[in-house]
Amino acid sequence: MRGQALLWHMARAAGATWLIVSVLFLLSHATIDPESQLRDTLENATHPSEAGQRAAATQQLLHRYGLDTPLFYTTWHPQVGWQWHGGQNQYHAWLTQLAHGNLGYSYQADAPVAELLAQALHYTLPLTLLAALLSVSAAVGLTVVLSYRPVGRRWFLRLAHTLQSLPLFLLALGLLLLFANPDALSWFPAFGLSSTAAAEAWQQPGIMLYQLTLPVASLVLSSFPALAIQLDGALQQEFTQPYTATARAKGASQARTAWRHALRNALLPLVTLLTELLPSIVAGSVVVEVIFALPGMGRLIADAALQQDFPVLLGGVGLVAFVRLVAQFMADILYSVLDPRFRIAA
Amino acid sequence: MQQLFARVYLVVLAGVLLTACTSPASSPNSGTVRIRWARDPENLDPLIVSNASAYEVANLTHCSLLMGRESVHDFVPWLAEEFPTVQRPNDSLLLVTYRIRPEATWDNGSPVLAHDVALTLKVMNCPGLPIEKDQAVYGFIRDIQLDSADARRFTLVCQGQSPEHIRTSGDFSILPEYILDPKKQLRAVPLPAMLRAPILPAVQALAQRYQALQVARHPENVPGCGPYTVTAWQSNRYLTLSRKKRWWADALAPAPAQLQAYPTKLVYQVIPDAATATLALRRGDVDVFALMPAAEFARLQQSAEDQKRLNFYTADSYEFATASFNVQQPMFRDAATRRALGLLFDVPALIKATQQGGALPSAGLISPRIKPYYNDSLPLPTFAPKQAVTLLQQAGWQRGATGQWTRPSKTGAAELLRFGISYRAGEPTFETIALQFRAAAEKIGIVVELRPTEQSVLSRQLREGTAEMSIRNFSGNPFSYDFTSLLHSRGIGADNTTRFSTPLTDRLIEQITSTEDATRKTRLLRKFQRVMAQEVPFKVLYFLQYRIAAARSIGQVPVSGLKPGYEAARIRPVQTAQ
Repeated sequence: MRGQALLWHMARAAGATWLIVSVLFLLSHATIDPESQLRDTLENATHPSEAGQRAAATQQLLHRYGLDTPLFYTTWHPQVGWQWHGGQNQYHAWLTQLAHGNLGYSYQADAPVAELLAQALHYTLPLTLLAALLSVSAAVGLTVVLSYRPVGRRWFLRLAHTLQSLPLFLLALGLLLLFANPDALSWFPAFGLSSTAAAEAWQQPGIMLYQLTLPVASLVLSSFPALAIQLDGALQQEFTQPYTATARAKGASQARTAWRHALRNALLPLVTLLTELLPSIVAGSVVVEVIFALPGMGRLIADAALQQDFPVLLGGVGLVAFVRLVAQFMADILYSVLDPRFRIAA
Repeated sequence: MQQLFARVYLVVLAGVLLTACTSPASSPNSGTVRIRWARDPENLDPLIVSNASAYEVANLTHCSLLMGRESVHDFVPWLAEEFPTVQRPNDSLLLVTYRIRPEATWDNGSPVLAHDVALTLKVMNCPGLPIEKDQAVYGFIRDIQLDSADARRFTLVCQGQSPEHIRTSGDFSILPEYILDPKKQLRAVPLPAMLRAPILPAVQALAQRYQALQVARHPENVPGCGPYTVTAWQSNRYLTLSRKKRWWADALAPAPAQLQAYPTKLVYQVIPDAATATLALRRGDVDVFALMPAAEFARLQQSAEDQKRLNFYTADSYEFATASFNVQQPMFRDAATRRALGLLFDVPALIKATQQGGALPSAGLISPRIKPYYNDSLPLPTFAPKQAVTLLQQAGWQRGATGQWTRPSKTGAAELLRFGISYRAGEPTFETIALQFRAAAEKIGIVVELRPTEQSVLSRQLREGTAEMSIRNFSGNPFSYDFTSLLHSRGIGADNTTRFSTPLTDRLIEQITSTEDATRKTRLLRKFQRVMAQEVPFKVLYFLQYRIAAARSIGQVPVSGLKPGYEAARIRPVQTAQ
């Protein structure tokens, strides 16, 4: 029964992924005019007397990118009504290559999309994983430690609310101007990752950590307040439950009561927030990546959207959508692990 | 246990700090120049070259036959020994004869010959390769005739008679035959046969060989005969160009400006955000920051500390901001209305607000810096709402009781002076211009709607003629005065987004492009500007300045009014940058 439920969940996730990427494909191709983009690339390239040459070149480009066929299986023409195109359409071609594990080629970089995504993840994952780890550690550690210290807790919550109200770009720029500024403290590099080619292999992780300090700090400061505030609320709720009073009556210290008894139950509402972090880990942060010049997923997707590099855009957004569905699936499982009253049901 | 954790933490921290202190990025070698790029080149295939960064790399790693030089306002010989000779055997053909410099060699020591040029043209016509752009730009080169007596001399057979073709025919990177066709199989295939069906086996083999080299990501696989080679490239992070120890032009004494290359290493750092790039420049992490935003540039110029460590340069560019009218819209059909609306732009205030005062107002579409051609008898743009009201009345517009302007249309119905102004979304300069115009227009009763629009949608609207008024930048150069694409009737539906044309302006454009007599050209260009000032299909607001800030440690930076705004190869670092 449980296996069936799992299979149902996975089938639902796969269906939802297909639906999301299909809608993305059709919307992105239908709302934006690829011909305009290609014409722009040829703009000023030709003399108008050779307008025929330019039109031919645009057609060749459209053909090379597979954009010269109808978008979908059917199209509507006011004069002739619905027209059926069979398999000769952009969506069919894209879906077929996707089924073969091929995400296509970038228009701009002329490189496989999978390779570009892998490169971007190579930079994004250390940044976001480290930031997520530190955010969760800081949120859980500080919140639990301060949960039974009223004065400290009050100041901590004020700080968390203040940080939460600050936009990420402001936090990142503030850190940059404070810790990478020759007029203030010049402790860290102003931009992300300079060349480490000349460094020894053993030095490279250290250099990378050093260079990632400010970006990671920006992400931690922006993401941990939400976790901490949520956890604090849940912990305070748990402290009102009879089982914590029983624990205290049996001689457990405040710290032991918080860590051993209240925390497990208080984590339950946090699970949703934690699993929300997973797609963000893959998607990166375009703000931090632009400010600190890090070549990660956020910038890759944003640049692809700006330059209408559809294969990269769809590959990036599709990956993030897939990870989001996996995260939701994981949340369901985690709920059942943390509280046996929850069961994955078909 | 806690003590153990504390010790481990301290060891890790010490390791991090130790390695951080030995970061190679902070200690560049002497002769190295570090330059900020806003954007990665993305693709270094010489057949594609899709952005300014890629173009810069192509110009440092490859050589063309000719190179545009701003200082002489013309193309000069680069790989070619001298400017080509031209013959016109009939009304439709142009024969352009070049000879390659005898000193020019490839990295393997073999000379650069006419066969290399022929092979390059064959690559640019090779089916299966990304040749669309080359076909559009250089498609007029129909054949190449090699000189049997001189391996360096050749003649390009060009379709058409335009003098522009002479310069364009020498403006593509020459590729090495010894790498792309080592067995010289393509020598037997004439250029016109490249695109003919069925595709010849030798042509298919060339396409396969070229694709196998993966030039887009590995430019080092096809080294050019330029002074630099790509030695490191991490996409969206950095790109390093190293000076060849022995470059053929080193033997030239004195080397002309286009064949000078001083820095031993050029390190390009990709830093998209301008604020971060400014900080990196002030910290000494980069040496050159070109095309700096006006506000950042002014702030640095005012700082005493930054004056000590930085040099500041400006170069008058050939890029200009305009407000264009779609003259096929009924309300913009008459020149008087367009002239009236042009008077609502407060150009000096806009220059101050958007460029911190660093831009040149102009009477027309030729930069005031090009003195021989600029028509200085025309008045500079003025902000005159009262005069605009008078002109609108002369154009038949009447202000009604509601305060709005109307005039009877051809059908008899009242036509309302109400329109939208489109510009690229997210561009603060355009938005400021549009806001200033709307404020001035509303004061005299004209209703203007701001329409920030996504770039490709805007391009389509402009091409299809659905945008009413638009704000854009146009790029020019000091080599060409061909306004065919911008203002000729043949450009309507493509680049002539104002859809303006008259028999007189069409004729003037044709005469300007076909004449090689400098005096006549001057006269025609001045007349053309005068006509444009009357017709106002677009209002030129100002010519932009390129702003460059650079570390004093790298000495003087030769700046240019053409992008990227500097000549990297001609920077002579005076001491080790710290």
